[in-house]
Amino acid sequence: MGNLLEIKNLNVQFDIFGAHVQAVRGVSFELNVGETLAIVGESGSGKSVTSKAIMGLIPNPPGKITSGEIFFDGSDLVKYSQKQMQKIRGKDISMIFQDPMTALNPTMKIGKQIMEGLIKHQNLSKNEAKTKAAELLKLVGIPNPDKRLDEYPHQFSGGMRQRVVIAIALACNPKILIADEPTTALDVTIQAQILDLMRDIQKKTGTAIILITHDLGVVANLAQRVAVMYGGKIVETGTLEEIFYNPKHPYTWGLLSSMPKLHAKTDKLLAIPGTPPDLSDPPKGCPFAPRCPHAMKVCVDHMPDYTKLSATQKTACWLLDERAPKVDPPATIGVGGE
Amino acid sequence: MAMSNEELTKELFTPADISHAASEKLSSEVVSAWKDAFRRLFRNKGAMISLVILIIIIGMSIIGPMTSKYSADDQSLIRSNLPPKVTALSWLPFLNGKENGVDMYQERGVKQDFWFGTDTLGRDQWTRTWDGTRISLLIALIAALADMFIGVVYGGISGYFGGAIDNVMQRIVEIISGIPYLVWVILLILILQPGLLTITIAILATNWIAMSRIVRGEMLKFKNQEFVLASRTLGAGNGRIIFRHLIPNSLGMIIVNTMFSVPNAIFFEAFLSFIGLGIRDPQASLGSLLSSAYTVLQLHPYQTLYPGLVISLLLICFNILGDGLRDAFDPKLRR
Amino acid sequence: MGRYVLKRIGYMFATLYVVITLTFLSMKLLPGTPFKNANRLSPVQLNQLKHFYGLDQPIPVQYVKYMWNFIHGDMGGSFQFGMQPVSQLLMAKFPVSLDLGFEAIIVGTLLGILLGIVAGLHRGKALDWGTMAVSIFGISIPSFIFAGILQYLFGVQVRWFPVAGWSGFASHVLPVISLAVYVLALVARFMRSEMVEVMSQDYIVTAEAKGLSTSAVVFKHAVRNALIPVITILGPLTAMIITGSLVVEEIFGIPGIGAQFVDSVVTNDYPMIMGTTELYAALFIITMLIVDILYGIIDPRIRLSEGGQS
Repeated sequence: MGNLLEIKNLNVQFDIFGAHVQAVRGVSFELNVGETLAIVGESGSGKSVTSKAIMGLIPNPPGKITSGEIFFDGSDLVKYSQKQMQKIRGKDISMIFQDPMTALNPTMKIGKQIMEGLIKHQNLSKNEAKTKAAELLKLVGIPNPDKRLDEYPHQFSGGMRQRVVIAIALACNPKILIADEPTTALDVTIQAQILDLMRDIQKKTGTAIILITHDLGVVANLAQRVAVMYGGKIVETGTLEEIFYNPKHPYTWGLLSSMPKLHAKTDKLLAIPGTPPDLSDPPKGCPFAPRCPHAMKVCVDHMPDYTKLSATQKTACWLLDERAPKVDPPATIGVGGE
Repeated sequence: MAMSNEELTKELFTPADISHAASEKLSSEVVSAWKDAFRRLFRNKGAMISLVILIIIIGMSIIGPMTSKYSADDQSLIRSNLPPKVTALSWLPFLNGKENGVDMYQERGVKQDFWFGTDTLGRDQWTRTWDGTRISLLIALIAALADMFIGVVYGGISGYFGGAIDNVMQRIVEIISGIPYLVWVILLILILQPGLLTITIAILATNWIAMSRIVRGEMLKFKNQEFVLASRTLGAGNGRIIFRHLIPNSLGMIIVNTMFSVPNAIFFEAFLSFIGLGIRDPQASLGSLLSSAYTVLQLHPYQTLYPGLVISLLLICFNILGDGLRDAFDPKLRR
Repeated sequence: MGRYVLKRIGYMFATLYVVITLTFLSMKLLPGTPFKNANRLSPVQLNQLKHFYGLDQPIPVQYVKYMWNFIHGDMGGSFQFGMQPVSQLLMAKFPVSLDLGFEAIIVGTLLGILLGIVAGLHRGKALDWGTMAVSIFGISIPSFIFAGILQYLFGVQVRWFPVAGWSGFASHVLPVISLAVYVLALVARFMRSEMVEVMSQDYIVTAEAKGLSTSAVVFKHAVRNALIPVITILGPLTAMIITGSLVVEEIFGIPGIGAQFVDSVVTNDYPMIMGTTELYAALFIITMLIVDILYGIIDPRIRLSEGGQS
């Protein structure tokens, strides 16, 4: 089974107020047909920028892809022109956004917003597109689809709007669906519904999903593979089980420890002290070193290589070097509330 | 990776001494909002050039009339309609005192120079232009004061106290702003006589409306925010809350809007004087100067030049400065 | 929506009533008689005039009479034009001013929107700076100065267009440009900032993510949303056009109510001044009403939420 998408050594830079912010620094990963890959990290880690780069939606200026390749179906999307990208976007790769309250055009009927992509990519007539749009609304669980096509976004609730956004993304049966924090802006009860819907849709359509999130609960719910990003780099990647039960990077430990748990022994929420690095002047060594409880002198000036721990798990940390002292993961990590 | 393993000694694999507090430190110095705003303003070239031009115009309006021995209404038909002449710069075609190739000064036997020329009654345009500029600046000052005092107080009371007071005050504003400015002024002029006093009353009566709305909006925005509630729980009274918290927080908006109402008031005075409803002869105003210059535009076009230039500069500079202030105080609005 | 419109129309009549009352009162507040040329008239004539206007009656009676006459379209007679009815004179001259105002608003708005879109899409580049510089000049320099410059350059010097008058296309060019420059500048500024605002919205990214072409994103999504708030400046624009028309009509000798109004002021033709004042107020108030209703119709958020409640 071939890779659907392969990203090699991607670098993205933003030029803001004279500073060169290196938002993404040498990110590589691949996505297989029909799988769900979660990219996890706190805000500013470069996960959203990575997803925008795949879509070719990095605003230029100030942003640009300085080097790297994004292979989709054997061709490099980085080299594509705007016109070529427009044929890919919404057809082969589409995207769901964080805030459903602002992601829809307030003055255009829902139906028309769904139909636009269909008419552009599948050369459907207006009537055919309308029928298809109603089917899509039904697929994402909106009752009364025929009537609701003629309504405006403000007549929908937040959860319903996110369903519409998903319907727009699914319109042309994309091979890849990028979901950028799809549940962050929603109520907790609605979050579960949207996650169920996404899982359901993947089962029906076989779309591969790249899930961008900082919420490990969402990851546990949906993903098969996980990539942990920090400071513009992927610091650890592996299957869901590997990341949750056998994490090797101290940052992953920190993320897992900071997850609230039902049967926690301490009554305190654990946080990772410090703030993410300033990417306009990125650190030479491991970006996590200043916040890492196990930091060694080597970490400050030397970026660790990936250590292959299994066929699927790779971690970039000096602790895995044979010369490093043995450090056990903290007892506070442990999965979810189950 | 390119790095060879030999370079990494065993020693490097000992715990590093990294203070976690260091990563929490802010990388740049903390600057107060005001300092920041003024720094942005001073970096704005257009606004700074405008400020310099405005200062020059203000200076000239004060000292300009004193440098001429003729007052604004010294008439003499011997020296009527003279073109501008500056002997030292007479190689410039528009400062050589010539009209259609004839040196009018020689023809009339006038010895001294009139830098801006003279009008149909032989009055010194230099004196009259700067006198008119004074009127414009006076109007600007009145407009700013009306904004600051009436507008801020009215909007402040309306927004801060809310409820029935707000309701009544807003209905009044609605009626006043439902009628165009021009109509108010003309009604006033019907009752009073055209002149500086009438224009002043007109500005005091209507110019503050926009400001009161803005201040009311600011009050509504801030009065229920946490810092105000916190101050209230600590026992601060209305006066303290208004003057220590609400007004300082709205001051940026107040300054910016004052800057925008100033050119409007200057324009309105010039406009009224131009159509004969404002300042009237023998008093000079940039609008009335232009109005009388237009009657001889085809014969002596230079008479329009200087008053037109000064009022255009005034309005352009106030507008650019206003834009600069807005950008400086509210970077969000900088688009 | 229906109830809202009715409420707004109610407000409109209330404001109009206030204006008419105020003009009436201001006439009563005038020192002496309202007839400026009273000293030229014989006492008999003066009494006849007073009686003709009912000025010998108590003020409340006069007020009721004034309102009654006003409702029936009688605004008195013009002093300047041998007591010809004011309403007739206004109706004869108003179409010319309306014509001028409309042409200026249409030319200025269309060009302004176009410039605003272009500037907004090229934010921070030369095109944007250029447009904004033009717009600052357009907003700042008074229309009577523009009119003078245009008249001198193109009328007196190169003689491409007539210096004055209102007959035929060529005579419209200079006055319309003089008035339209301000409209253009204001609309361009407003449209630009709306475009910049809209282009940074999430739904534009959604539209781009659908793979729509750049022109579809700009015209179907951005421009439509940016245009809606531009409607609101139609009110201030009308006021500005009225103000501008006074001087522009005067300068170019256009036989509209603007130039007429200036003449009336100079000759103290009070009935004419009052009639024109009321007409201007009505024009402004009606424009504000139309703007409000139009806004409601175009923006589905207002249209549907108001409609849902009433």
